[in-house]
Amino acid sequence: MATILPPTDGLANGLAKLGLSNGDASHNDSKPETKSDVTSETQSQIRSDAQPENKFEVKAGLARMLKGGVIMDVVNAEQARIAEDAGAVAVMALERVPADIRAQGGVARMSDPRMIKEIMETVTIPVMAKARIGHFVECQILEALGVDYIDESEVLTPADATHHVEKHPFSVPFVCGCRNLGEALRRISEGAAMIRTKGEAGTGDVIEAVRHMRTVNAEISRAAGMSPEELRVLAKEIGAPYELLKKTAELRRLPVVNFAAGGVATPADAALMMQLGCDGVFVGSGIFKSGDAAKRAKAIVQAVTHFRDPKVLAEVSMDLGEAMVGINCGTMDEKERLAKRGW
Amino acid sequence: MTQSRPQITVGVLALQGAFSEHLQLLQQAAAALAANRVAGPAWRFTEVRTPAELDRCDALIIPGGESTTMSLVASRSGMLEPLRDFVKAHRKPTWGTCAGLILLAESANKTKKGGQELIGGLDVRVERNHFGRQVESFTAELDLPFLAATEAVETKTDKRPFRSVFIRAPVVEKILPHTAGMQVVEAAKDGTIVAPSRMPTDEVARREFDKEVEIMARLPGRAKAWSKFSDATAREIGEEGDIIAVRQGNVFGTSFHPELTGDERIHVWWLEQVLAAISRREELLQ
Repeated sequence: MATILPPTDGLANGLAKLGLSNGDASHNDSKPETKSDVTSETQSQIRSDAQPENKFEVKAGLARMLKGGVIMDVVNAEQARIAEDAGAVAVMALERVPADIRAQGGVARMSDPRMIKEIMETVTIPVMAKARIGHFVECQILEALGVDYIDESEVLTPADATHHVEKHPFSVPFVCGCRNLGEALRRISEGAAMIRTKGEAGTGDVIEAVRHMRTVNAEISRAAGMSPEELRVLAKEIGAPYELLKKTAELRRLPVVNFAAGGVATPADAALMMQLGCDGVFVGSGIFKSGDAAKRAKAIVQAVTHFRDPKVLAEVSMDLGEAMVGINCGTMDEKERLAKRGW
Repeated sequence: MTQSRPQITVGVLALQGAFSEHLQLLQQAAAALAANRVAGPAWRFTEVRTPAELDRCDALIIPGGESTTMSLVASRSGMLEPLRDFVKAHRKPTWGTCAGLILLAESANKTKKGGQELIGGLDVRVERNHFGRQVESFTAELDLPFLAATEAVETKTDKRPFRSVFIRAPVVEKILPHTAGMQVVEAAKDGTIVAPSRMPTDEVARREFDKEVEIMARLPGRAKAWSKFSDATAREIGEEGDIIAVRQGNVFGTSFHPELTGDERIHVWWLEQVLAAISRREELLQ
């Protein structure tokens, strides 16, 4: 399958217009304008972000800069330093990694802004943070903090049983998880500028991430062979906007950057996801729940660059110490599955 | 009688970042050049991850991405020294965008704690994340006068401003005096890192190496913002705008991402620069 994402000319345009018409209006009621310094006002003379397609281009553009890289979950400034020194392209700041969220139970929420701020002050790479599904106020807070990306994440306890956050009106870009093509395109139409597989976070078992990537690939292959009439029917079946589905079928890939996430624990797992067509990899509990975090983090970074070179993969997989213990997804109780959150 | 067309291989460093976008625009640019030339070279564009792949290249693009990641991966993949040789010792044509500009700078600040490795090649100091975090990222319509110097007719006559994408972008904070060795004064500054020096290997490389840094483009935004409050021109308040594109001999750097816009004009211009650099080399070697 072709996996080349074309430069954004025209692409961002189409993506941004979808879902924008209602988004801006409703958001203006709920979100106060935070930035009103004179500089940004006058700069709009030469800066062309005022147009929605350019705003989306800038959001999706950062995701493109992360391609071929590893984004690591960190719970404090010290771990963030280790991740940066290992070559992470970004860190995800959160209070508990998914493995601990599973073990401890209870409601998982947005992290303490103080802790996110400390991480932002510690590293120079982009810092992402998670908000609960549908919790647009957590998103407003994260935007005010200045995080570089928001993950509207099923790993946290959902705040809204029906609605995802309307993401277009925010200046900060969003990444969202998906299990299949319909879910991915719904998130993009809401304004997600980056997609990831949901996988099954905190398990160290890659099977669900593989399933989600394989499903998206198979659905795109099917769509690519369809006539416009058939695409209309498919759009209805999978609950995806027709225009986005059509674009995806033309490109033969998702129209935004797509990362692997949820259960990646080894360099081989990371390379597997890359060979399946992912643009990069999130590693959550897999690094800091393992024996030698720094070494494993470096190994996974090397594996994502040289994902087609088994010799390099063999070399970096040596002597990594203990991997995270993990939970077998096959023996997991249905109600423990995080991937089922969101639709 | 047909002469065999020379083959020119242009690599895009593919350790991390937006390399596939550059490859696509190079293809578009080569097609635009071919439409204007009777007998152009046969272009070959390729991803570069290993020293062997770099060895086959006549010119190189270092794409946007995370500069810390790229320099760490380069160093762990045995690419750092080959890259320094490519850019500085052999002085082959190289272009860096955003993270690539940072890596090509002889000096950089606001790097991660403990610094990062630079390749060098441009006598400038670059400030990382100059505009701030992602929420400060933006697009701008720029006038790029150097594009008028292209031979490719469409690029030459196309007067549209160039829509440029700045993502957590660096700027050139200072043009440094050209020195043969390391930038010693810069190295002594707090929070500033420098690239190790490499001497040019031959006369051709030396001539490229000895050229001065030229400012190719500025972002007039901040000066304009100021001038709203006073009638002073940008020049009078001592600011002409941030430096966002520089060239020194055959090494070129931009702080924005032409690879994100689908507009191949800068790639057309740069491929012509590569051709010019290669013919300069051939003339000297004759």
